[in-house]
Amino acid sequence: MINYDFSLLGKTKIPIDGIRQLFRIMKLTSLLLVIAALHVSAVTRSQTLSLAVKNRPLSDVFQQIKDQTDFVVVYNERFVNPDTRVSISVEHAPLTKLLETLLRPLSLGYHITEHTIVITALPEEQKSTRLAEQEAASQRTVTGRVTDEMGNPLDGVTVAVKDVGLATTTDVQGNYRISVSGDGAVLVFTIIGFESHEQTLGTKNVVNVVLKASISDLDEVVVVGYGTQKKINLTGSVSTMSSEDIENRPITNATQALQGMTGLYVNQAGGQPGKDGAVLRIRGQGTFNNNNPLVLVDGVEFPLADVNPNDIESITVLKDAASASIYGNRAANGVILVTTKSGVAGDTRINYNNYIGLQAPTYLPKTVKDPVRFMELRNQAGFNAGRAQAFYSEEVIEEYRKGTDPYIYPHNDWIDIMFNDALIQEHNLRISGGSDKLGFSVSAGYLDQKGVLMGTDGGRFAVRSGLNYQYKNWLKLETDLSFNQRTSHEPATTAGTMMEMVFKAQGFHPTYLEDGRYADTWIRSPGHNVYRHPLVWANEGFFNTKRLNGMLNFSAEVTLPFGITYLAKVGFSKLSTFEERFVPDIYMYQVKTLAEQRVDYYTPNKNRHVYNNHAEGLNTTLYNTLNYEATFADSHHIKALLGSSFEQFEDRFFNSLIEGFLGNTLTEINAGSVNPQVNGTSNKNALIGTFGRLNYDYSDKYLFEVNFRYDGSSRFAEGNQWGFFPSVSLGWRLDQENFLKTQRWISALKIRGSYGVLGNQGIPNFSYVNLVEAGREYLFGGAVSPGVAVESFRDPNITWETTTMANLGVDASFFESRLDLTLDLYNKRTDDILRPVTLPSQVGNLGGPIRNIGSVKNVGLDVNLVHRNTIGKLNYAVNLGLNYNVNKVTDLNGEIIYSGDKFITREGYPIDSYYVLESAGLFQTTEEIESSPFQNITTKPGYIRYLDQNQDNVINSNDRIVTGSVLPDYTYSFGLDLNYGQFSLGAFFQGVKGVNTYPEAIIATPFWFATSVTERWANESWTPERPDAPLPILTSFEDSQNDNFLKSDFWVLDASYLRLKNIQLGYTLPQRFSDKIGLNRCLFFVNGQNLLTFSDMKDFDPERNVKQANYYEYPSIKMYTVGINVTF
Amino acid sequence: MKKKSFIVILILSTVSSCGDALLIDPSDQYSANTFWTEPEHFEAGLTGSYNSLYSLYNVFSGETDMITPNAKAYNEANGTDGIAKGSALATTGLFSNLWNNAYEGIGRCNTVLDQLENSPLSAEETGLIEGQALFLRSLLYHYLIDHFGAVPLVLETPDPALHGDLPRSDKEEIISQLLVDLDRAVVLLPDRYTGDDVGKATSGAALALKSRILLFEKRWDEAAAVAKEVIDLNVYELFDDYRGIWYLENENNEEVIFDIQYQVPFFTHGFDHTSKLLNRPAPLKDLVDAYLMVDGKSTKTSDLFDADHPYENRDPRLHQSIAIAGYPYNGRLTTPDDVVTTGFGNKKQTVYKDDVAIANVVANNSELNIILIRYAEVLLNYAEALNEAEGPVDEVYWAINEIRKRPSVAMPVLEARMGQDQMRETIRLERRIELALEGRYYSDIRRWKTAEIVNNGPIFNAADEVIEQRTFNAGRDYLWAVPPNQIDLNPNLEQNPNW
Repeated sequence: MINYDFSLLGKTKIPIDGIRQLFRIMKLTSLLLVIAALHVSAVTRSQTLSLAVKNRPLSDVFQQIKDQTDFVVVYNERFVNPDTRVSISVEHAPLTKLLETLLRPLSLGYHITEHTIVITALPEEQKSTRLAEQEAASQRTVTGRVTDEMGNPLDGVTVAVKDVGLATTTDVQGNYRISVSGDGAVLVFTIIGFESHEQTLGTKNVVNVVLKASISDLDEVVVVGYGTQKKINLTGSVSTMSSEDIENRPITNATQALQGMTGLYVNQAGGQPGKDGAVLRIRGQGTFNNNNPLVLVDGVEFPLADVNPNDIESITVLKDAASASIYGNRAANGVILVTTKSGVAGDTRINYNNYIGLQAPTYLPKTVKDPVRFMELRNQAGFNAGRAQAFYSEEVIEEYRKGTDPYIYPHNDWIDIMFNDALIQEHNLRISGGSDKLGFSVSAGYLDQKGVLMGTDGGRFAVRSGLNYQYKNWLKLETDLSFNQRTSHEPATTAGTMMEMVFKAQGFHPTYLEDGRYADTWIRSPGHNVYRHPLVWANEGFFNTKRLNGMLNFSAEVTLPFGITYLAKVGFSKLSTFEERFVPDIYMYQVKTLAEQRVDYYTPNKNRHVYNNHAEGLNTTLYNTLNYEATFADSHHIKALLGSSFEQFEDRFFNSLIEGFLGNTLTEINAGSVNPQVNGTSNKNALIGTFGRLNYDYSDKYLFEVNFRYDGSSRFAEGNQWGFFPSVSLGWRLDQENFLKTQRWISALKIRGSYGVLGNQGIPNFSYVNLVEAGREYLFGGAVSPGVAVESFRDPNITWETTTMANLGVDASFFESRLDLTLDLYNKRTDDILRPVTLPSQVGNLGGPIRNIGSVKNVGLDVNLVHRNTIGKLNYAVNLGLNYNVNKVTDLNGEIIYSGDKFITREGYPIDSYYVLESAGLFQTTEEIESSPFQNITTKPGYIRYLDQNQDNVINSNDRIVTGSVLPDYTYSFGLDLNYGQFSLGAFFQGVKGVNTYPEAIIATPFWFATSVTERWANESWTPERPDAPLPILTSFEDSQNDNFLKSDFWVLDASYLRLKNIQLGYTLPQRFSDKIGLNRCLFFVNGQNLLTFSDMKDFDPERNVKQANYYEYPSIKMYTVGINVTF
Repeated sequence: MKKKSFIVILILSTVSSCGDALLIDPSDQYSANTFWTEPEHFEAGLTGSYNSLYSLYNVFSGETDMITPNAKAYNEANGTDGIAKGSALATTGLFSNLWNNAYEGIGRCNTVLDQLENSPLSAEETGLIEGQALFLRSLLYHYLIDHFGAVPLVLETPDPALHGDLPRSDKEEIISQLLVDLDRAVVLLPDRYTGDDVGKATSGAALALKSRILLFEKRWDEAAAVAKEVIDLNVYELFDDYRGIWYLENENNEEVIFDIQYQVPFFTHGFDHTSKLLNRPAPLKDLVDAYLMVDGKSTKTSDLFDADHPYENRDPRLHQSIAIAGYPYNGRLTTPDDVVTTGFGNKKQTVYKDDVAIANVVANNSELNIILIRYAEVLLNYAEALNEAEGPVDEVYWAINEIRKRPSVAMPVLEARMGQDQMRETIRLERRIELALEGRYYSDIRRWKTAEIVNNGPIFNAADEVIEQRTFNAGRDYLWAVPPNQIDLNPNLEQNPNW
């Protein structure tokens, strides 16, 4: 047989004569073979293909054909240009038909031998016959331009003459030229992603066509566990997102990118540069342990925060058991699959985008700024609580009132001093492209984010390179290498403590002396006696964090006979964190006496010191899969997957601290000399799994899938390490049934159901073995003696948490995909929940064992609704996503879990419900107090009245009730996308409903250890003249924690909110301008983040960690950015 | 084809070789099953028991004086303010702090004691460890019963199945157990240590603790006898410089019987910082007024008292214990700003001297040992027990005069021929003054049942202004509340009355 491996030949230098000769031979042979092939194809080529490409190189299509069949495609580059852009869409078409459709317009033919498709030029005679036919029939040439609704040219549009079989494609400018005969001819314009358009010619010779974007996304292929699946054939519940959804948004941490995905609760508390990761929850909270979903980046477990958002191609969230169980023992909290951008064959494309903008805090409490008023209010608060003594004497207040020296009697607004609008800028550059053999994508990103709080900033630098190489026809190699550095800079005491001190600095706290030295206050402020100068903290010393995370992936895909492919992947990720802290010796001078005082830093070590911490993790992932795909009798489609994996996580840290520095300039460990301290350890855990999946569908109508994983984890004792996690799902595409096919208004309709089991192993290492902890030392004779202690009691029999989830879903699309609806009902039950059992302290005050105990149920509903339409030049889409979730503890073996001082977990209630006293307004008079059940001896008018639940006439902890929840009932989002001509507008709202928070501590309660008081407390608290005030009488927490500030539902606040997360206005330069400056695309945009918030919460951002009592966390930020996005 | 097979086999073999990877042992902690084999394991286990003492700083230091008429909290810290005012809740942090951490230390002692049965150590070495563990366990039980009354008595390695639902034991049973244990400790322990062992519990410490327990139980004869045993050891004597007992350079001096060892940067506390900069504890006028005049008479009866110079000619311990505006402390004269809360500041158990200025010790950077038992207390125990048992016999005078004759104190000896009641008041006053701001007075006013009188009503600052109202509920406040969460976890625990 003749070797037709021309593509290889084409690369070598062959004398031109030789080529011509070969060419001739080939033509002859081809002719013969094509005739033969046409005869045999009907019988032997029953294999069908589904293919949907849009404006891709021909080589890509060949590759896909190769992937779906076991045929190798060979061609000669002399007459087949593999870079020719083509578009084609077929569903279960026989190979021959596909090849006809594909090759005809290119004047190419083909023949098929055993496992080989040879692409040929059409023989001259056949070609001339065709031309003759055409010429005979045609009377004229029609030309025109095809554009989208925004006027952008569409290249690769197939323009065919209906019923004639003549076709061509448009070029890069969208222009086409085709010969037609007669006036009655009809041109059909088709391209993936747009509705096909038929145009009757009439007498026109120039026909310009505008194609409407097709609005069904059911053709999409989505990434699923260890593979891909057509969205239309999915039987599990997944949410997907693509790079376009987050394009140009100022996303400083990749976790924020997930906001708006249905069924996902993304809560971003605070916007500290470099430390602004969001908390992710999928379908409620199922465990007392780690509730974070498993995040896999290109198949390898990797922190999402360490991915450059600009490198993300797509994100899939696997929500139900059917889609997640292939990840077995880590899948109980859902799985997030991130796919990064990779190189594709085609022209080299260079994309550059940037933005620059300003950030400001969303919320800052409005506090009483005037120092005299503050002192008077605090004194009043003390008297209100029964203090006989003023905090600030009348003399001091009087002196201050009269004082004129701005250094001794300042009126500083510390919030204004410490918070400033801050710059942010990001730049990303990507170069991608490739040939039919090699694809590459190289990118670099840079983010520089100043902090709105003085003394904080952060940044990110990321590079990534992806290469894929097709060796011969049976081996495909891929490597990905990424490197990401995230940095954050904050005061030595960290930003959180810094916030506390900003709110503890009052108007009377000075900044600098006249000579520029740091100034110390002359006023003693009980609770904040030692002035911790915020400017010193912000400017002197530091706490720097540098995360250097790299990932190297290598995979090989081998095409084996019988439709089997084998894939092996090795991934290494190295996560390293370096922290350094320097606490300097800085002095401040009392404004009156100039007495020197060293500024106290609130870190574990108060002396001048340097602390370094190196932590690193090395994760190794190894997995391999066998894939099989086949079709029998045209309608039975089978896909099977079998695989195994091994993952190992090694962590270590080493830290050191030293004192004895000779100044504030050198900050290395070696520059210190006294009191060195070291700490360090390492640990390791491993997972081994075997997994598989079988998909079967009959005529794309009845869908069936089973998954399993058999998983072992080192976190449990031998004998309890292995678990089996199966799932099954079914789908029925009603739209494929004859009785619905006629219903034009239904574009797609599928019902699906799934059931499966997932595991959770997210507990600390070695929770199954009793340990003797080292490091419990004591001093004898002035020297440290090593000491050990048993500190917890362990249960060796613990094993997985098991989550069982049932899911019932509908995917529907109506009115030519103008309205898409996805609906999922789920019932998720977690059994054998692992949680630490609290032991009575009399048992050696031991930490309780982690045991499998209890069950929690999450029942809920995910709805996603999309409406898309085009009205004239206006093209819009509106989408709504909603998750409703009910969390309930169903079984705790009769136990009750108390956590903190106000949370309870008990049967019949959500996890961590508030367990507090019930309040009933405020006492107005002493008589009211006396006639009520005994509250406290210190209770006074204006204090909160608590209800005596057990009727024993005394208020104590036995009167608590279960109320409120830290888990939201509803999380929802809605968005709007508008395109009009060159303009685009996108807006995205996010909301949460039915969630509570409890304000405590700094700034939330008045005067907390000398903290500022809010204007609201100053103006809206109870006084005899203001009996209906919303707040009780003004007292400080310290004075009234046992009466006025008892934990009660008075303070269980509604933290619901609706927030405009993002709004973006874009303008795309018309093609004719961008062409002139050599650009493919040029987009200008302005973007606003967190601009509007609707909430009952005052003074504090409602998007927060609702369980955190401290309200002084780093503020959330709003951002205004402008940028460009160009491709050339 | 061959090449393909080769690659597949290569990769498959790599994966299959990971079979044993799930068997991973901890690398930085010892597994309890394999520990307790080497001699140093037992030493380390005992050291771990001492380590628990650090978490009881709030109860061991002078902080509890803020619940007495001796002092006041500058601002609410851990519940002392609420306890003093009578508004404390059962959930007060100080209560659970003592309950949890005492049982932590008891559990550690019990583990070591049980493991000693299979110790590879010599009998003498085993005895040393056993004696110290028994002492520590007794010390912790003593603090528990002093504050809570009877508590569950656990004497074995902690086990949830065995001890999780134990109710409160009979108090007599606990006391007799402590006495037995301390007797055994006295036998096993040496009366002094040198070098690397300084700081460990001695037989004298065991005896002194025993005398305190017996005194608290009003077993006067025995208390006096045991206190005498300590005296007769001739190991301890009063340190000449009363103020210098707490100087850094005098740590572990001859008056110290048992203390908690601190050293920067390993183990530190915050008493310097809270005392000097936060003015906590802030001594009250009631305490200052209680100091006698140098003639041994009270401010009310002495001719030496001058209302214009009320702090002159006072018992020298006043200025050695309390910072007063206009008087030197840390190398300068104290200003009213230094003592804002009450006009008085605490000097005791701080590193500052009157004549030398040193930089302020920053928060939580104090390294002065916290003395739990010193010889002066034993003398006072002896005097009080003997006076109760036999009346004001000579030995009672001797013990109190020993304290008064300390060179740096040099107060006149007691006038002779006091009645028993008068002697009782004299001893109580002497005890209050000598041990002021050391965390002892709160126990004393409760066992004397005087708290309902002395800690009820207004308290005053230096200017004689009322600064706060105090309430002591005699039906409730002589004992602390069992932390309610402990009752939640073990419903067999009974709450103390009226909590």
